[in-house]
Amino acid sequence: MAKLPFTNDIRTLRFLAGEMTQGDLGDRVGVTRQTIAAIEQGKYSPSLEVAFRIAHVFGKPLEAVFQWGTGTN
Amino acid sequence: MTYKEKASWLMLVAMVLAYSLYFGLIITGHPAGKSLFAMLWLFGTIAATQAVVVIIGCIWLAIEARKLPRARIDERDRAIAARGTATFYYVLLTAMIVVGVVMPFTEPPIKIVNTALFGIVLAELVGLIVVVTSYRRGWHG
Repeated sequence: MAKLPFTNDIRTLRFLAGEMTQGDLGDRVGVTRQTIAAIEQGKYSPSLEVAFRIAHVFGKPLEAVFQWGTGTN
Repeated sequence: MTYKEKASWLMLVAMVLAYSLYFGLIITGHPAGKSLFAMLWLFGTIAATQAVVVIIGCIWLAIEARKLPRARIDERDRAIAARGTATFYYVLLTAMIVVGVVMPFTEPPIKIVNTALFGIVLAELVGLIVVVTSYRRGWHG
């Protein structure tokens, strides 16, 4: 599996949002629990729309949720 | 596993079982490898049985999925399905070029038909393997 050039803090943000479950986040974003799990594990790159929706749920800017890896082009 | 992933596994297993039997019989000298009528009868029986099993299985999976909340198809399912379809297309295209352009000059009709069927099955299998692998190992579309 190719390594993604970016990471995310969704797991931490869910914890800080009162232990929000993957299923709850998926419901609010419009994707399945499995897709949220895949995004957290770096197994799926979400579309820009879903990325913005996730950031919106947490009330954060996109770059607070997804970070471009240092040293990648 | 999502409904789509379970359905993909079901189709993959059903195809492997059904067409291993069909092409296994052909290789071991079944009349379906020589006679068009026998071929149509054997293939029709196996394909129909496989289709019934897959349809019943998918209906059962859909009913089970409806018991769970959040059982919807999302962008990841669609991206993975598109990847499987693209792979299916290239394998099928290659097989059909061999069957339709090369084999008519050298092979008897029954062998061409069975090779065409094998090409279709192979393309579908490769597409399904890409789908289930993408679910398991990840997909960065």
